Amino acid sequence: MPNEVLIIIVVVVAILLLIAIWFIATMNSLRQNEVKVNEAESGIDVALTKRFDTLSKMVDTVKGYTKHEAKTFENVVKWRKGMPDDLTLEQKQEFMQKLNQVQADINVAVERYPDLKAEKVFTNLQKTIADVEEHLQASRRLFNANVSRLNQKIVSFPTSIVAAKIGMGKKPFFEAELEKRADVKMEF
Amino acid sequence: MAEELSLHQGKKKQSELIAIVGLLTVVIGILTLIFLGDTNDTMATVGIVILVVGIIVFIVGLIKFNLTVKKFKKTFLKDYFSKIIEEGSYFPKRYVSPQAVYGSGFLKRADRFKGKDYLSGKIDGIEFESSDIHLQERQVYTDSKGHRKTKYVTYFKGRIFKFDFHKPIEHRLQVLEKYRPRDGYKYKKVELESIDFNKKFKTYATDAHTAFYVLTPHFMEALMKIEQNHPGKLGFSFMEEKMYFAINNNKSTFPIYPFVKIDERLVDTFKEDVEMLYELVDDLKLNKRIFKED
Repeated sequence: MPNEVLIIIVVVVAILLLIAIWFIATMNSLRQNEVKVNEAESGIDVALTKRFDTLSKMVDTVKGYTKHEAKTFENVVKWRKGMPDDLTLEQKQEFMQKLNQVQADINVAVERYPDLKAEKVFTNLQKTIADVEEHLQASRRLFNANVSRLNQKIVSFPTSIVAAKIGMGKKPFFEAELEKRADVKMEF
Repeated sequence: MAEELSLHQGKKKQSELIAIVGLLTVVIGILTLIFLGDTNDTMATVGIVILVVGIIVFIVGLIKFNLTVKKFKKTFLKDYFSKIIEEGSYFPKRYVSPQAVYGSGFLKRADRFKGKDYLSGKIDGIEFESSDIHLQERQVYTDSKGHRKTKYVTYFKGRIFKFDFHKPIEHRLQVLEKYRPRDGYKYKKVELESIDFNKKFKTYATDAHTAFYVLTPHFMEALMKIEQNHPGKLGFSFMEEKMYFAINNNKSTFPIYPFVKIDERLVDTFKEDVEMLYELVDDLKLNKRIFKED
């Protein structure tokens, strides 16, 4: 009789131990995936900052030609301090959207003032911005790929149990085109 | 061009005829030996003489054939490629250096290295070099009688291309179909967004961002198109402003076979191989120099 009890205890302990090991392994895997998502997000930050810097330089060049239209670029002047720290993902998307607008304005200016195309500094900046764009897209895609992988794990059973226990929820994607969101206000 | 081609074709046909005559003479010699040489010593001697003469004539035909092919490649093809490719150079006996082949990062070192049909030049301003490559590894085995024997087993027979790649990358990237990185760098497997692409290719990069930077959706689509149009085992690698493309398809690129006419149709098939280079450069947008400072 005591032998049987001992066997049951050993089996129960072994099962609990296996569950604990699985729980820890799954939790670590989720955490590692989360770290990858965060790393990818910092990649977006770097690319956004570089895009902001390059666009600022382009604006400086363009402004010489478009003094009477300075209003178009006044938004950028407000952002002299660069990309604010501790932005949420949604705010970063909003920031990117604003940079898109600046870039569109620059393109319009280039169309109006063809002499700009002859400026060596400006053409070099155009090349740089094209490369920065590529890096930003790559960062965004890498981020979304990592988020997708993490989200798939979070919603899959039985990993979903561990995710719920450690309070990990689905992460949002970084969208290329942001819909107008009235609730987000950006102050630079 | 047609006149020059018919001149080469005439010589090739002549060599083929000599080889056929030699082969027929060999057959006559063997038949003489079998049916007449058995009972008659003189006929046996005649049979042997016919056989030997047949073999010699056949060998002469083969040598003449090889010389004709060699001359066709060295004169006509060399001139032809220099005309249709900017700065085009063609050397039938040369090949891409082993250093460049292993520089691709996914082809293992061979015990026996052979190559031919070296072609280089510029496509839309993009420098390239390519050649057929035949890589073999030595295998030692023991036969049924317990003797140790050596054989060479082919693990790559196809073509390798090396292109300029003007997207500045500091890391290394390999997109492989049934290969794996072999250059000693610390690669990580990268899963891209396209499920079809991930099924077809395995992507390895020393930095995940580089994989997404180089493999844009358009670029992935272009690689898939190349894969569909070129049966074989494909491998692409990107490093130090170079793109390597290897295709293991057990084929020669510019073969001249016996009894296949040297004519404009044959030259057109070679031209298609060059057009494939243009397609490759265009599809992969290697000619877009937007990332490079002037």
